[in-house]
Amino acid sequence: AYSSRTLHLQQSARNMAAARRHKRVAASQPGFLRLKPDLDHSASRIGHKKRVNKNKKKNWNKYSDIQDVEEFLEDVRLQERATGGLLSDKSDDGLFFVDVGEQKKKGKGLKPLRIDLILQPDSQVPPPKDILAYQQPNARKLRLMAQKAEKLAAMGVLPRRERLLQRRRIPGSEKPVANNDPARAFYDLWRPDRPDTADPYYLEQTKRRLVKRPEKLNVKPSLLPAVEVAAPGASYNPDFTSHQALLLEAHETEVAKLKAEEKLARQLAVRKEDLATEESVFREQVEGLIEEEEEKLEAEEDDEGTAVGPTAQTEKKTEKQRKREKADRVKELQKKAERKAIDSRQQLFQLRTISAELRRREQQTSVRRTRRKDQQEREKVQPRRLGKLRFQAPDLDVQLSDELSGSLRTLKPEGSILKDRFKSLQKRNLIEPRERAKFKRKFKVKYVEKREFREIQ
Amino acid sequence: MGGLQKKKYESGSATNYISRNKARKKLSLSLADFRRLCILKGIYPHEPKHKKKVNKGSTAQRTFYLLKDIRFLMHEPIVGKFREYKIFVRKLRKAYGKAEWGTAEKLRGNKPGYKLDHIIKERYPTFIDALRDVDDALSMCFLFSTFPRTGKCHVQTIELCRRLSVEWMNYIITLRSLRKVFLSIKGIYYQAEVLGQIITWLVPYQFAHDHPTDVDYRVMATFTELYTTLLGFINFRLYQTLNLVYPPKVTHSQPAVMLHFDLLSEFGFYCSLLSLSKLSALSASLVRVVSTAEAEEAELDHFPAEGEDGEKLAERLKARQDQDRQEKLFEGLKFFLNREVPRESLAFVLRCFGAQVSWDKSLCIGSTYDVTDETITHHVVDRPSLEKQYINRYYVQPQWVYDCVNARMLLPVEDYFVGVTLPPHLSPFVEEKEGDYVPPEKLKLLALQKGERPEEEEDNDDSEEEEDEDQSDDEDELKGMEEKQASSVKVTPGEAKPVNRQRAEQEAKAEEKRLAVMMMKKRDKYLYDKIMFGKKRSVREANKMSAKRKALDEASKANKKKKLKK
Repeated sequence: AYSSRTLHLQQSARNMAAARRHKRVAASQPGFLRLKPDLDHSASRIGHKKRVNKNKKKNWNKYSDIQDVEEFLEDVRLQERATGGLLSDKSDDGLFFVDVGEQKKKGKGLKPLRIDLILQPDSQVPPPKDILAYQQPNARKLRLMAQKAEKLAAMGVLPRRERLLQRRRIPGSEKPVANNDPARAFYDLWRPDRPDTADPYYLEQTKRRLVKRPEKLNVKPSLLPAVEVAAPGASYNPDFTSHQALLLEAHETEVAKLKAEEKLARQLAVRKEDLATEESVFREQVEGLIEEEEEKLEAEEDDEGTAVGPTAQTEKKTEKQRKREKADRVKELQKKAERKAIDSRQQLFQLRTISAELRRREQQTSVRRTRRKDQQEREKVQPRRLGKLRFQAPDLDVQLSDELSGSLRTLKPEGSILKDRFKSLQKRNLIEPRERAKFKRKFKVKYVEKREFREIQ
Repeated sequence: MGGLQKKKYESGSATNYISRNKARKKLSLSLADFRRLCILKGIYPHEPKHKKKVNKGSTAQRTFYLLKDIRFLMHEPIVGKFREYKIFVRKLRKAYGKAEWGTAEKLRGNKPGYKLDHIIKERYPTFIDALRDVDDALSMCFLFSTFPRTGKCHVQTIELCRRLSVEWMNYIITLRSLRKVFLSIKGIYYQAEVLGQIITWLVPYQFAHDHPTDVDYRVMATFTELYTTLLGFINFRLYQTLNLVYPPKVTHSQPAVMLHFDLLSEFGFYCSLLSLSKLSALSASLVRVVSTAEAEEAELDHFPAEGEDGEKLAERLKARQDQDRQEKLFEGLKFFLNREVPRESLAFVLRCFGAQVSWDKSLCIGSTYDVTDETITHHVVDRPSLEKQYINRYYVQPQWVYDCVNARMLLPVEDYFVGVTLPPHLSPFVEEKEGDYVPPEKLKLLALQKGERPEEEEDNDDSEEEEDEDQSDDEDELKGMEEKQASSVKVTPGEAKPVNRQRAEQEAKAEEKRLAVMMMKKRDKYLYDKIMFGKKRSVREANKMSAKRKALDEASKANKKKKLKK
């Protein structure tokens, strides 16, 4: 207890001394303002000062009073924390303001959240800079390396890593530009380049060269021209006769179509004889009621007629008969041979007739040959049957006399060129005629009345 | 006798063909992809001679391909690309279904594509082969370039088609090789001669669109894909042959802008929109690789080809001269297009023959002079009347331009003035044989081409009569022309002889012919008679037609007179 009391006493004594000295230290700083109110409450508690020998270094540490300096520094730190600098350094505007009464605050909603305020840093002292963050290890080495790389790049030497990457890139594997890109570039495709000297088989097998296209594939499947020019009657301002000729042609095709339709209708129509008359209907109704008995009788009679006893047996031929038949056969053969010999001898005298016949036949074959050739030629310009459907020639594009405008401004174009091109492709056997695929519903459609609708009703 | 019994359908045509479905399975492609592949590679279905044998006894109608063709298809690298694309689509669909947008984006970035260059090279081993097949490509490109951008096909395709067709038109303008134009009710047919190849193509009128439902757009798009690639390479080569810069650039006065364009093209950036629209205006000439002064061609020397005598050479020379004259048909003339006429077509045709063309500034980019320009010689108008007219220029309807091109000469403008009923537009693609019916308009044209001026319109009846005479008989007409020619030469006493000799020669010839006919064999005589009958018939028909025409003309004239009297 004693020791604690003495310690306290010592402490208070020291405090008093420190306050005093603090005053002194602060006072020694010119223009220094203290933030905290004066700690000088210890003046009343002035005790006696313990005397200590100061010839020992140990006592210097133990008994020299540095409280005043520390308090001063503490005050400086506090000032820095709270106000961001020393009060003495601040200007008057920073310390005072003119009180003009209560002002209305603008921007009520801009008040920060309390949680944000709590999280704000308390001190106004800026955090110390991390010097290490600004330093790079091995900076010099790296700089030298970069310089070297730059020099090499200028000389055109790639670094190893890049070189390896380049080696892995397969030529032609770059992403191609889309075929319909309007900005795509073209080049001279038919430029003569160096012929490959390597074995063609090797090149083909290793896919370095495409397989040669068979010559036959370059033959067009039809001799028709790609663009068939319209008839002179299809001019926008045609002369009378050619326009009439075109109209006639269109008319004729239309008539032919109508005729075919009519023919089909005629063939499919019900024949008059097949229509039911009153009589035939009546007969059908009484079928099997009246004639039944008669038929039965007849059937019985038939049965009697056919039911004759066992069939007649074939009798065996006698030896004599066989011999005779054989002799007859031989005789017949001989006769034939003789006839043939005579005929061939007679042909000597028919030479002229025979040669005439030969000539006739030769002529016939030659006629047939030419006809066949003509047919083949004609077929080359005909659309072939390439699929389920036959080629349907498009309707002739015609403008009637009163539809013709006579001026380019008022011209109404007839027909669609797209369709014309499409039909031309079909006509030239490049594509097969097809029908537009019909929409097939997979499941049946179910109609359900909505509840709201039902409720209204 | 002996050996194994042969089985049916194990040799012969049954093994040479393969049905479409089997071929599809063999390549493991979907039907759409298979069809696309066949179009791109130029492999077409084939109709076998003995269908029942090929079809293994069945008579069902099927599409057949030659087995060897399909085997050839199996080597095509594009088949692999198609499969890759199929897988890509599947993955993408899956990613979208799972709402994995990042994956979808990544997949989109790696979309597989393919090139058609090797196919073009394979199908057209030489440039001339390709040029022979350009008709189709041109028609298709011109057609697609006029499509509205409404999703019937890719907008990019439309733009590419537009670019290529504009390039082609500019090439034809520079080469001046247009030969014939025909305005039909369907569209405009053009014919040009490029490197000795006659090329015909069809261009639709603007804004003439209905989308027919019975056309397979997918098939058409595939053809277009192939043809755009083909046309692009052809254009490149053609530009190269003329020493033109490709992609084409219009000549520009400011060098800075030129440089800018150069840079753009160097980086493969073609067609900033501005340059394409300037090109499509068709009003400026193109930039050459070598400047024009150096590239000026010297007069070609003419050497007779092998086995060609002097006459033929002269003929060829004359044809060449004619062509040169035709190419300079509109040279020195200055045209102005009113806003209601088809600008692109007219500008194209006029520029092809060396004219200067301009139009209203608000109509299109690239107009070079104004309406008020005093040096304009022809103003193309297509409206019944025009309020403000300049004295020193002709106001003609657009048909005049086309008819001049087809006639290869400047036709008299009187028939084509504003508000005048136009003479018929005849097709330049018709070539009449001897004895065929020739419409009177064409006869007039032929006469004009020979250098005869038509009679003045004042004494209408006289000229009509003369025409009638002309039409009455071909031979008469010929004689009449001879007489005319004779009359144009001064009559001298010595002139009577050659006529007589000619006549005597003709008579001798006719006599010879008669004798030869008499000496003919019976069979040959029959054939000869048949031919002669056919000729006479055609002449008779022609006469009938002309009589009809005459009756019609007279009727219309009577009507007109009546109207006038009223």
